[in-house]
Amino acid sequence: MEIIKLQNITKRYDDGFVALNDINLTIESGKFYSLLGPSGSGKTTILRIIAGFTQASSGRIYFKGKDMTEVDAAKRPINTVFQNYALFPHLNVFENVAFGLKIKKKPAKEIAPAVNEALHLVRLDGYAQREIAELSGGQQQRVAIARAIVNQPEVLLLDESLSALDKRLRKEMQFELRAIQKKLGITFIFVTHDQEEALSMSDEIFVLNDGEIQQNGSPVDIYDEPVNDFVARFIGDSNILPGRMIRDFEVEFANRHFKCADAGMRPNEKVEVVIRPEDLDVVAPDQGKLVVRAQTQLFLGDHFEIKAIDSDEHEWLVHSTNSVHLNQPLGLFFDPEDIHVMRLNESQEEFDARLEQYEDDDDEKQ
Amino acid sequence: MKQRHLGARLYLIVLLLVLYLPIFYLIYFSFSSGQNMNHFQHFTWEHYQTLFNDSRLLAIMLQTLLLALLSGLIATTVGTFGAIAIEAARSKREKSSLLALNNVLMVSPDVIIGASFLIFFTALGLSLNFGSVLLSHVAFSIPIVVLMVLPRIKEMDATLIDAAKDLGASSYQVFSQVLIPAIMPGILAGFFMALTYSLDDFAVTFFVTGNGFTTLSVEIYSRARQGIDLEVNALSAIIFLVVLIGVLIYYFLSVRSSRTKHNRRIGVKL
Amino acid sequence: MKNNKRVFFLVPYLLWIVLFVILPLLLIGWYSITDTNGHFTLENYQRFFGSGTFLRMSLNSLWYAFLITLFTLVISYPAAYLLTKMKHQQFWLLLIILPTWINLLLKAYAFIGILGTHGMVNQFLQLFGLGPVNMLFTNFAFILVAVYIEIPFMILPIYNAIADINPAVIQASEDLGASKWQTFRYVLWPLSWPGVESGIQAIFIPSLSLFMLTRLIGGNRVITLGTAIEEYFMTTMNWNMGATIGVILIVMMIVVMLITGQRKKGRTRK
Repeated sequence: MEIIKLQNITKRYDDGFVALNDINLTIESGKFYSLLGPSGSGKTTILRIIAGFTQASSGRIYFKGKDMTEVDAAKRPINTVFQNYALFPHLNVFENVAFGLKIKKKPAKEIAPAVNEALHLVRLDGYAQREIAELSGGQQQRVAIARAIVNQPEVLLLDESLSALDKRLRKEMQFELRAIQKKLGITFIFVTHDQEEALSMSDEIFVLNDGEIQQNGSPVDIYDEPVNDFVARFIGDSNILPGRMIRDFEVEFANRHFKCADAGMRPNEKVEVVIRPEDLDVVAPDQGKLVVRAQTQLFLGDHFEIKAIDSDEHEWLVHSTNSVHLNQPLGLFFDPEDIHVMRLNESQEEFDARLEQYEDDDDEKQ
Repeated sequence: MKQRHLGARLYLIVLLLVLYLPIFYLIYFSFSSGQNMNHFQHFTWEHYQTLFNDSRLLAIMLQTLLLALLSGLIATTVGTFGAIAIEAARSKREKSSLLALNNVLMVSPDVIIGASFLIFFTALGLSLNFGSVLLSHVAFSIPIVVLMVLPRIKEMDATLIDAAKDLGASSYQVFSQVLIPAIMPGILAGFFMALTYSLDDFAVTFFVTGNGFTTLSVEIYSRARQGIDLEVNALSAIIFLVVLIGVLIYYFLSVRSSRTKHNRRIGVKL
Repeated sequence: MKNNKRVFFLVPYLLWIVLFVILPLLLIGWYSITDTNGHFTLENYQRFFGSGTFLRMSLNSLWYAFLITLFTLVISYPAAYLLTKMKHQQFWLLLIILPTWINLLLKAYAFIGILGTHGMVNQFLQLFGLGPVNMLFTNFAFILVAVYIEIPFMILPIYNAIADINPAVIQASEDLGASKWQTFRYVLWPLSWPGVESGIQAIFIPSLSLFMLTRLIGGNRVITLGTAIEEYFMTTMNWNMGATIGVILIVMMIVVMLITGQRKKGRTRK
């Protein structure tokens, strides 16, 4: 069910800077969304417009079909977990969590159980009377979540909420956030610049750059089928090469022709080819589709990251579970499905339309 | 190394002795039965008895305190509002010109403030009494309140305001339940400074006060100009005692609070 | 913040700026260019610049302010430095601040006794067979008492500045082979300069208006511009002449501030 809809949202600042350019997006209830992008991509601006802290220059926001563009932040059934938590330093944990309920003039005997339940949900039982300054970063994070969810919002916004935590704690909180979202069944919109975080937590991701949505879809879709160069580079490591589409299901790059799984382009159209480093298998030179020489390799704990060059001096990034010999010829093997072909300047609508078309063709053939 | 430490301590101790000498000198002679501060005669409480029977002086002390509290309260309110307005200034230029105007009274010599206020009140046709003194004290205390509150507002996490709005607070609730508590230390420091300015002031009050009203400073001045009066010595002893008790209470409170905070933090770690 | 909210905070503050900052300054300027009947005249300025007395007094004011500031700095800097080396710094600081809470006039009054012909200092000198020296009502007494009063106000900012210096830079300087003097000259002094500067600002300008000290200790002679203003406003009641001296004092102040301000700019450019 649709819960939030942004229609033609543009945000232009007084100095002429365009933070958001004609954003359209739809959020459904009960799902975990991520707004993913580098800093300055406009992801936090979208969040602030949804929360009501920032007014869009043009465009409308709908909540369950009702226009709430002019509604105050205080009146929206949405709560926010801030980047630096924004806990009130003059109030203790209990008072922080109870703040929203007190503002709504709930009777004290309703507030206490609600606050304790929220604290229990974020696993902070027994911390009610602590001062904020006494808490660790992870605990403050939990208080911020409890303070937001105690108001039973229909949508919870999280602004880079995990970025201040160390790596181990961040992983732990990712699991917990996902668990809390499942338990409450409400919509989470999570802003992050960390692609791993977005991939591991979300039902759906919006990838943003320069104030525009580049692509949206499930984590698997976005990882496997980036629509453009930016998305391919931003989501995970990748080898991106210039290529040429010979005909449907055949592409040329690195001066050779390969079978691939993409179609629907003009013959001989210039394209870009994406191959993920973990999709490249190291084999004996005579068994490989390509021959390269390894230049450097780094052991990263669960795999080796190898940088190699082919005979055209193209650099290849390869992930391998075994180490290789440097400066020796190596074969690289990959399946046709591992090749992802991107058209230049193709929007997501065009991409989706093309995909539908040739998948229909497939169905007909069978 | 130890020698140097001794030298350092000696220098500070001598300096402190010099700083306290005039005060103890006054207190010492407040117990002398003579009429001057040259030779100690006999021990006596006589000057303290005179002091406590001097209803005029006691009334002046009360007036001075009332003046300080009232002017401090008004100046803190206006100054806090001013600091909020300055921080919300729309342009850098507006902000810096407001700050420059704020600091005019901070850098002006007291005689200039006193003289110009005297002209001002006369031009307005206001009579010189408690009202004119109160207005003056409020006026010269406002800039220091602004300067004490402003850094607190700057330091304050602006997202606290967003957070409060997000949780449903109205503008007034944001102001009273988030903004004011968050900058409270600055407001208290400003109020405290305003009190000090008011209690300490002599020059401005001297200019703008009339026949009907006087403060302790002005009263001491007019008595001192007539020569030695050991009742004034008794008064200084009492003031010193009050200040000392206040400072000691403050010191032990601050030491204790920093200690308990420390313990608590350790408690969390355990 | 939305506009109407900002206006609510701004109005009382702006009212204060207009009534107590701008208007008094305009009025004092207006009085300086009119005679007692309110007619325009430049006579006051002619009188000021035509008379050696006033010009000498201006120089005297600057000279005394300079001396007071210098002596205060020379005594306070080592004290502030040594304070940062002490255990229980908060306690020492409190001891230094405490005397500032005793009313300035009481401390001045104490010196009437201490410096008097039969006072403590002369009794002490007599132990060595030195005859009574007349110290009260001299310029020396004025400077001595002024320095005494200002010392804590110089120690505090310098202490804060030195305490803020990362001790590692001092060690780095010594590590690089600098002598104690070189470390002071090239590291400690420049890093503590902001404190020294605010100390100077806190003392130089106020010492221009210590007219009550010149009255009580300095022998009732009109030796500084501050005293002159008080004289014209409170005794001879020639407010127009008083305002003229006030305007000249303000101009002198602005010149002093511009000089220090320019130096600061030059430093940052470097």
